[in-house]
Amino acid sequence: MPEIIMPKMGDAMTEGKVVKWYKQPGDRVKKGEAVAEIETDKVNLDLEAEADGTLGEQAAKEGDMVPVGGVLAKILGEGEKEEKKDEAPQRRVTDKKDSVKHTTGEYHEAIEQKGPRRDLAQNVVAMPAASEGGRRKSSPLARKMAAEMGVSLEQVQGSGPRGRIVAADIKKTSGAAAASAAEFSRKPAAEAAAAPLETKIIPLTAMRRTIAKRLAESTGPIPHFYLTADFDVTNLAAMRQQLLDISGAKLSLNDFIIRAVALALRHHPNVNASWGDDAITQHGEVHVGVAVATPEGLITPVIRNADQKSVVDIASEVRALADKAKNRKLKPDEYQGSTFTISNLGAWGIEEFTAIINPPNAAILAIGAAESRPVVIDKQIVIRERMKVTMSCDHRIVDGALGAEFLKTLRQYIEQPLRLFV
Amino acid sequence: MEWCAPPARLWGMGGAPEARTTPSRENEMSEKSYRDAIRDAMMEEMDRDANVLIMGEDIGVYEGTFRITAGMLKKYGPKRVLDTPIAEAGMVGTAVGMAMLGLRPIVEMMTMNFAIVAADQILNHAAKVRYFSGGQVDVPMVVRGPQGAGVQLSAQHSQSFESFYAHFPGIHVVAPATPADAKGLLKTAIRGNDPVIFLESAALYGMKGEVPDDPNFTVPFGQSRVAREGKDVTIVSFSRMLQLSLAVAAKLASDEGIECEVIDLRTLRPLDMDPVYASVTKTHRAVVVQEQWKPFGVAAEIAANITETVFDELDAPVARVTGEDVPMPYARNLELLATPHEPEIERAVRKVLYKT
Repeated sequence: MPEIIMPKMGDAMTEGKVVKWYKQPGDRVKKGEAVAEIETDKVNLDLEAEADGTLGEQAAKEGDMVPVGGVLAKILGEGEKEEKKDEAPQRRVTDKKDSVKHTTGEYHEAIEQKGPRRDLAQNVVAMPAASEGGRRKSSPLARKMAAEMGVSLEQVQGSGPRGRIVAADIKKTSGAAAASAAEFSRKPAAEAAAAPLETKIIPLTAMRRTIAKRLAESTGPIPHFYLTADFDVTNLAAMRQQLLDISGAKLSLNDFIIRAVALALRHHPNVNASWGDDAITQHGEVHVGVAVATPEGLITPVIRNADQKSVVDIASEVRALADKAKNRKLKPDEYQGSTFTISNLGAWGIEEFTAIINPPNAAILAIGAAESRPVVIDKQIVIRERMKVTMSCDHRIVDGALGAEFLKTLRQYIEQPLRLFV
Repeated sequence: MEWCAPPARLWGMGGAPEARTTPSRENEMSEKSYRDAIRDAMMEEMDRDANVLIMGEDIGVYEGTFRITAGMLKKYGPKRVLDTPIAEAGMVGTAVGMAMLGLRPIVEMMTMNFAIVAADQILNHAAKVRYFSGGQVDVPMVVRGPQGAGVQLSAQHSQSFESFYAHFPGIHVVAPATPADAKGLLKTAIRGNDPVIFLESAALYGMKGEVPDDPNFTVPFGQSRVAREGKDVTIVSFSRMLQLSLAVAAKLASDEGIECEVIDLRTLRPLDMDPVYASVTKTHRAVVVQEQWKPFGVAAEIAANITETVFDELDAPVARVTGEDVPMPYARNLELLATPHEPEIERAVRKVLYKT
């Protein structure tokens, strides 16, 4: 009989809370019907029945915490009774009266040896995780391609149903996905971007190890330092206004900044990185987290491959994810896996602030309000639109000069916004 | 052999020449309905070969319940267009005897649902005679008629029989999806020396399409056809469901750039899987569409063949689109719900593309 279990909704999740039972023991449930609402540290979600049947005994009450993988209830098939936990499964003795008569005794023997009949539905609904007993679920084509390309399935994250690794996942991992014309046109034309990004493991040198250790000892697990820059966003603001007038698309300054950051990260892969105890990982993809305030607290939905998306695409994605975040409907893959984070308090009129790094990112960019301010240009005082940004860097990965280089590149994208479109 | 005496003598008619010379109309096409294409095939073959005759319920004076045989009694007379009693087992039994003696009978079933009454004659006699006679006796017979749902004929008159018949060795099973194939395949059926179950789609009778005028135009058995080329997903179907599959392929191509390759099986026995294997090797995903019920159907057979032969090419399990597992309701709304339509096919295409 299929079981309803506490799902693992993210790497960090170890348990979840039963908020509400929609169904009581003995209620009929249909496949796909919501049975209970559960709460994780990030989202509330409905658990659905994976088969038709009758809900068995509830193993947890509303409000109970249940470890990941723990059984919440079973779904009983037609005529099925819940097994007592302390009893071993009983072998069914074929009822001579009911059984179909066969001329050979072997048939009956075989039936008896086979033990109790299994519910047919079990074949469909027994859905173990993607990797069970070391075996990664994968499509035949994915396995063939992995063998041909020398990709180990262990390295691949499956995107198919129940974590099945499919051909697209192998392509992504091997980096062999031929860039389509559309993708290409969205990539920055700058020379640094011409080199394909790849995931690289850079072994720690003794020096790097020492720097990391010393800095960590002095300032806590992540040794932060801060770089502030004052960007001129007059052109960017004008361009945004023009785009609004022409297309009516809802675009905020922040959507342009996301794209600018993503493109700048392509120039500086050593900022698009994470600290590990033995190595620094430079990420092969640029996933920009965007801090969103919700009544419950801060969450950072992720714009995946932001370097390959247009500003308009980014804008609509940010809006959709922010809505989901406010309703606590984000799925784990929508808020995990960022490689860099942006936090913008401009809307609250904050001029500048420092943000705490969102591990395992190497840096976070805190963005202040864009405001008209007097500045001196060519010895003249003029009024320009200005915006202050502060980058918090993990000093174990990003040294001061590197962070400054990154901001210099970012400044070019922000102050000469046509670069975002070429 | 005595029982192979020329049937012209048996029927006391002047033997018509085996093949009449007709002016070449090799490259000409006419727009014809599926219904007219079937009638043309029969009349051309009756003109070509005096051994061909047709029998069935209400096919002569009444000119057929679906008007397939309109005008045939008038043209060929009651010895070649036979109105029979309502006795399907008798009709097919008679036809098996005629065929054993060298005639080429066509038996029209008012619907293929009624042929269940004659299943013993079809499966235990027509399909077995050559085998039992050590290859000495052929049964060149065609049992044809409409099947399938969509015209509100309720549970007993809306069934599909392709997997039922295709299960048995000894007979061919044909299910055309277009007027041209209906004509070309029926002519092959009539000319061949084997018993053939010719399954027409009742819902396609009015469908029009280009049909070659050439009286020598035939479509061989066992040659599946690529009805539309594509690179993303393979859709395998036949008969009416092929037309729905093509509609979905056109929509997905224009709306979303998803290119489906659509394959028309045409004959289910013999079954030509090679174009399917070639297509799945290209697309890596397959959807099989059938009108009949899911359990033990053609779609299951196709899916199993794909898995056995090109397993390593698959990036997703083969998806089946089928009718609901219930007797066909009479009510229009329920009949529509019980039969597959474009949205189900579209969903299956998305499923194998992991685009749900």
